[in-house]
Amino acid sequence: MSPVRRGENLPIHNRIGVLRAERRMTRAGLAALIDVNPQTVGALERGDHYPSLDLAFRICDVFGLPVEAVFSRTAFTPLSAELYGSHDAKGRT
Amino acid sequence: MSKSTMNENLLDRYQDYRTRRFVSHQAKTAGSLPSWRTQRRRRSLVVGLAVTFTFMFAVGVLCALGVNWAPLLWLPACAVFFPMWIALQVVSGRQGDAPEAALDEYEVSQRNSARSIGLTVTQNLMMIPICYLIIGSVSTGGTDQNMAYAGGLMALTVLLIGGCTPAMILGWTRRDLDPE
Repeated sequence: MSPVRRGENLPIHNRIGVLRAERRMTRAGLAALIDVNPQTVGALERGDHYPSLDLAFRICDVFGLPVEAVFSRTAFTPLSAELYGSHDAKGRT
Repeated sequence: MSKSTMNENLLDRYQDYRTRRFVSHQAKTAGSLPSWRTQRRRRSLVVGLAVTFTFMFAVGVLCALGVNWAPLLWLPACAVFFPMWIALQVVSGRQGDAPEAALDEYEVSQRNSARSIGLTVTQNLMMIPICYLIIGSVSTGGTDQNMAYAGGLMALTVLLIGGCTPAMILGWTRRDLDPE
């Protein structure tokens, strides 16, 4: 974890790993696009480092998504469950 | 142009120069010692340096005890120290003393944390030679040459430990690249 004081119960979850895999992008590839070391991408994916607002925007620009689609205070559910889970719910009603 | 602006420009220019020099040096050494860039190998270098520092401190103690040939042991210690230190700097990307503009935000936070620990280590360990020299100079009336020489060697060892600690911490803690 980056050595700064932060709220104990205020984690920042992210979907960087999933979004990267979805686009068949390597860590080094993403790192080059957002101008960081590949190990920093690994630290972000593991949750060892919470990005600055500037870095978060750079990451979101690469994926073409809003910040809330990539980062969240609560753990993300799998994208497939979000898509097909709601479809099943509609089918049952 | 105000004097403070001139100073800022001078500082900025110096930092730019440092960054350019660092990046250029990094480009030269980026491919060096590829088999030593694993965490395991980096940790073995850190352990080697720790052993060397212990040996250097022991040389200081031997000098304090008045062993005539003890100062000669400093030479093999240096012969071991410099190659290991240079190798650790190369394989860890010199992040311990890198200018901020050459690092990303995660690397900067790691470097700052390691430097903070290094400063604390230096301050605390420096109390050993300081106390030795103060107490020793009073008790011997400032006439013991061995004590002064040994105090100098101890202080030098502690400064080396403090200076190397950030790179040692980063070399020890930095992970290998995650598999894709």
